Order: sequence, then C-alpha cells, then structure tokens
Amino acid sequence: MTLAAAAAHSAHSGFLSPTGIEIAFVLVGIATLGAALVTVTTKQLVHAALWLVVALGGLAVEYLLLTAEFIAWVQVLIYVGSVVVLLLFGLMLTKAPIGRSPDADSGNRWAALGVAVAAAGALVWVVVDAFRTTWIDLDGPAQGSTEVTGTFLFRHWVLPFEALSVLLLAALVGAIVLSRKRSKEQS
Amino acid sequence: MNDALDVALRLVIVFAVFMVLPLVVGQTEHKVMAHMQGRLGPMYAGGFHGWAQLVADGVKFAQKEDIVPAEADRRIFQLAPAVALLPYLLVLVAIPIGPSEGAVGQIVDAGIFFVLAVMGVGVLGSLMAGWASANKFSLLGGLRTAAQLLAYELPMLLAAASVAMAAGTVSLPGILNAFEWWWLPWQIVGALVFFVAGLAELQRPPFDMPIADSEIIFGAYTEYTGLRFALFLLAEYAGIVVLCGLTTVLFLGGWHGPFGADGLGWVWTLLKTAVLAFVVIWLRVSYPRLREDQLQKLAWTALIPLALAQIALTGIVKVAIN
Amino acid sequence: MAAPLPPSRPRIPGSGLAKGLAVTLRTMTKKTVTAQYPDVQPELPPRSRGVIALFEENCTVCMLCARECPDWCIYIDSHKETVPAATPGGRERSRNVLDRFAIDFSLCMYCGICIEVCPFDALFWSPEFEYAETDILELTHERDKLREWMWTVPEPPALDPGAEEPKEIAAARKTAEKLEAQRAKEAQEAQQAEEARQAEEARQAEEARQAEEARQAEEARQAEEARQARETQQVQREEEGEE
Repeated sequence: MTLAAAAAHSAHSGFLSPTGIEIAFVLVGIATLGAALVTVTTKQLVHAALWLVVALGGLAVEYLLLTAEFIAWVQVLIYVGSVVVLLLFGLMLTKAPIGRSPDADSGNRWAALGVAVAAAGALVWVVVDAFRTTWIDLDGPAQGSTEVTGTFLFRHWVLPFEALSVLLLAALVGAIVLSRKRSKEQS
Repeated sequence: MNDALDVALRLVIVFAVFMVLPLVVGQTEHKVMAHMQGRLGPMYAGGFHGWAQLVADGVKFAQKEDIVPAEADRRIFQLAPAVALLPYLLVLVAIPIGPSEGAVGQIVDAGIFFVLAVMGVGVLGSLMAGWASANKFSLLGGLRTAAQLLAYELPMLLAAASVAMAAGTVSLPGILNAFEWWWLPWQIVGALVFFVAGLAELQRPPFDMPIADSEIIFGAYTEYTGLRFALFLLAEYAGIVVLCGLTTVLFLGGWHGPFGADGLGWVWTLLKTAVLAFVVIWLRVSYPRLREDQLQKLAWTALIPLALAQIALTGIVKVAIN
Repeated sequence: MAAPLPPSRPRIPGSGLAKGLAVTLRTMTKKTVTAQYPDVQPELPPRSRGVIALFEENCTVCMLCARECPDWCIYIDSHKETVPAATPGGRERSRNVLDRFAIDFSLCMYCGICIEVCPFDALFWSPEFEYAETDILELTHERDKLREWMWTVPEPPALDPGAEEPKEIAAARKTAEKLEAQRAKEAQEAQQAEEARQAEEARQAEEARQAEEARQAEEARQAEEARQARETQQVQREEEGEE
C-alpha cells in the first residue's frame, strides 16, 4: 500500500503518460469486467458464482489501488467471505449439475441488458459529474484509511448510516417474524 | 533495490514460517494426542521419537498419483487446494510477533479486517472442493462447511470488533501498542468467543462436522489424494497457527510479558501461540464431535449473545475511562 | 417406570467439560501402554499358547493326538521295527518308530487338545510365536522344527503353596519312603543283633569272672583247710610231746 501510494505520488501526469499504478488499475478493471461478463453469460451455475468471486476480488483490488484500504477489506470480508458463501450454499441445495445447465438461460436477457446498461450509465454519470477532475490528495492521511473513513462515516454521513441500520434492523425483525409464523403452523 | 531485497527477505521468512510452524503443530498433535490416549505415537521416522514423521508423510503424499474423478469439475477440483491454502499464507504476513518494525511481514492498516476477510476466503476452497468432487459425501461436507462458516463468522467478527473498540484502532500492531494487562479479564469473554468461533471456522474437532470422517468419509476432501490432499491438511494446520497467533495478538497481549519486553517480545508471542495450539489439540482429544444442530445452536444462541454482551461491556468501560 | 434417578448434587455449569480436559491431561502424564514389540519382546504369561512343540523321545506313535485333533492338522507316519529278544530264547518285541510328525499351523486352532490327550508327555505348549511365513503352505511345520521349539518350552510354574502334591512326585516319594523304611528296618535289625552279641559277650565275661572268683575262693578255702589241718597236726604233735 505504501509502495502504491508512493508510486502514485511521484506521478502527477495525465492520461497520456500513464504511471504503473494507472496501468495496473486499467488491467485489473478489464479483468474484473471480463469476470463479470463471464458471470452472467456462463451456463454453469457454480462457475458463475466463482467468477463472481473473481469479479468482487478484482473490485477489492481496485479499491486498494485507490488507497481505500478499509473498503477493500470489507468488500472481501462481506462479499467474498459471506455473500458468495451464502450463494454457494444455496446453489448446492439446488440440483445444479456439474457442467452446463440447459435451462440457465433466460428469455429476459435483452431486457436485463437494457437495465444493466441504464444502471451503469447512471452510476458513471453520477460519479463523473461529482468528481470530474478531482485528484486524491496523498500528502495528508490516506483518504481511504480506516480512521478517515470512520470520521467521514460517523461525522458527516451519520444520518444515512443510521437509516441503513434501521433498514437492516427491520429486515432482521421481518425474518424473525416470518420464521416464527412458519414454526407455529408446523406445530 | 534495497527495498526489493527487504521485501523479498520478509516474504522468504514468512514463507519459511508458513512451512515450518504448521508441521511443528502437526507433529505436536501426533505426540500429544498419542500420549493423551496412552499411546506413544510415531516412533520410527527420523530415529528420535519419530520427529520426521510429517516429512515422511509429505514424501509419501508427493509420490502418490494425482487423481481427478472422471465426473468431477476438473479445473475447480484442481484449484480448490490452492484457494484453501494461500489465504493463510497471506494472513501470516500481517501478524506481528514483536514490537519492532522488522517483526511483522507487512503492517496493514486495517489489520483485523484484512486478516478476517482473507481467512474467510480460505473456506471457499472447501466449498469448491465439496461441489466439484461430484461426490455426495463431498457435497454434504461442502454444505456443512458453508452452514458452519455462516454461523461462526459473525461471532468471530463481533469479538474482534470488541478488541478494536477497546484499542481504538483496527491495526494489529496498534492494538498491541495499546494493550494493558487488565484487558485480559476485560476481554476474556470475547477471547473465548473468538477462539471457539475460530476453531469452528477451521473445522477442528469438536467442530469437525463438515469433515466428520466416521460419517461422511472426509467431507469435501473425500476425493482428494496425494499432494492436493496434503495441501488441504497443511491448510488446516496453517489455520491453527494463524488462529492461535491472532488470538495471541488480539486478546493475550502478543509480545507483552512480565519481563523481557525489550528483545524477547517475539518469544512471548511464540510461547502464547504454542500454548494455544496445545489447547487446540487438547480440545480435539477431549471432546466428542458436536452434532450439526448443536453446532448451529452454540453459534446462534451462545456465542453471538456473548459477543454482543462483550461489545456492550467494552463500550461501557471505554466510555467510563474516557 | 424407570427407577427414580439418584439425587444429583448441584453442579457448576461446565464442570463436565473441565472433567473431560482433566482426564486427558492426566492420561498424558501417565506412562503409555504401547508395546514396542519388535524392539522389546513382550512379557508373555506362563502357559502362553504360542506353538506346539514335540518331544519325540516320548512319542510312541499312539496316534491319539492326530485322532483327537478337531482340525485334522496333525500328520503322523511311522513303521514297525522288531527288537531282538533281550534274553536268549525270549520272544522278539515290536516297536513303533516315528517317521514323520507335522502340524499344519494354518489349520491349527490352538485348542490344545492334542497336548491334553497325549498320555506320554510328548507334546507341549511353547510360548514361541514368531513363525509367520509368506506362503500358507510353509506353515506345515515338520518334526525338526517342532523339536527345536521343544527347547523353548518353559519350566512348569511352581505349585501354589499348599497345593496337592503332583501324582508322579507322590508316587516317587512313596517308593522312596518305602525304601527308606526298609533300610531303616534292616539297620535296626543289625543293631539289635549287635546288641545281642555284645550282651552275650558281657555275659560270658561275667561268667568267666565269676568262675575265677569261685576258683579263687575254693583255693582260699583249700588253703585255709590245709592251714587248719597243719595247725591241728601241730597241736597233736605238741600234745604228744608233752605226754
């Protein structure tokens, strides 16, 4: 991380003379994109889940390259460590065969593609519009370090954070209610 | 150039530790388990009390044919052992064994998150193996592994969060720098929860339902032979080293000890890690395997409430101190 | 209904877990029970049933063992030889000579009936047990091998104190005692004879002494008589002289 930061610090150049870190960023980005594409196009269900791991891992590396270390490890912890495991757990409970699933394709693929492109366009537009040519200031504490992230999260963005917490709490309560109802019916 | 040499040297040392300590733990397990059962354990390999048994095992594994079942998903099957093993190697880089700059492979700012995140990835290896083997026992093992991981990841994280709250940092050397002796009683519940949850995540007895060899052969590893199987075993023992090292660093004060704080900090770390590794073996010998429902019950009704209580206690004490 | 459970004393939660840990820890400090067999020979109990040994001098080829064997694993071949008469004009005797005695240990079930049944003490249990072979056919061991094992048969263990005397020893002792008694009787008789002889000698000596004494007394009496007679003569002579 320190090496990456130093390398980024030494280069204030633009797009035309890319530094090593920018090349790495682009390469990892391409790999991530490729993994994501394979995830949605492969007809082997478990392979799709594993390609998703690659895509999420690639994203984590991108965060690292952007000095957002905390976010990177949380990404790995939550998505690779838990969400994908849950996904695999679910897949193993199904009849997913080794090899191609003949019915893995969906008739909605064009609609899905349209939604995906629209969502991606919206996100890219928002990000580009918000940051434009802002450069990360590497002289102070790293912008993505745990301390800075914590300060931002619990000082400036504490209200959205709490709102999210309430949402998760509501989901938790809902899950408990649902599971209790079912057990009553059974008994 | 000097930087590169430094990095290379650190990596070599970490790799050497990674290759040696798990074998030491494995050999200790052979002997301690044997004596706890009134046996002698290996006595021949290497001449003196079978010290080279695991080396001999390694040679044997290397000689075996590498078999991939015909119906298996070849590439995933072959990739799984590496996915299981490599995360522990990565984690080892971040564990500090002494107070100085040179006593840690690489200082990671978000150390706890790094360590727990990467350890979680290791379990993916078992899942891949379980699914790709095209074997019902393996699939059962994979399912159980996933269920166990989902149950025990949460208490482990919560217990680690408690220490991070106490220290006010998520960096491992930072936590150790903030350590005071009275953290030991303060965080004892968190330590127990962390250790137990870690054991469950490593699928060590008594939490070895996913690889229960008496009922589902060897779970996800049923179809593996030779070096790939050896890699899974090595991952298990490397996992013990990592778990014990982490518990030492997070809860037992790492290099802090009653004396010899200056140059001998690493001795304290290794000593505490060794004692914990002995406890891991001891637990394996003493307790029968938990049933699947008992496993889940322990996690959700005992460990998670305890971890939450520990976090509450940590918060109260922290506020009271400030 | 099940019997009511005994009242359980109040237990500290987790004491069972601690007990389990204590058991394993205690076992770890104790001596192990592993037998390091090829390096250290096992201490076999007396009467171990290792292998069957043959003491062929005692064997009379009576075939009892072969016939009692439940597995039919004993093979005996023999022929008869005539022994010339011991005394001139006596009758020739015939005698069985053992040609082959083999036990197939791949069939033997180590019941020990052959040893029990042998009336001449030709078969014994030997504690020797290291006779594994790589071929099942080689487990049929011939008489030379069985004889070699004979030298590994241990001495019979000592009897318990107060146990009944073994029959053969009792018989031998009875004979010995009989002989002893006879010898003692002879010795006594001899002594009595000696004593009688001595008494006779003593008596004879006494008689001789008494005879001597009598002779001496007679001599003395005769001498007295003679003296008296001389005195009487003298007195008569003096009286004659006076007259």
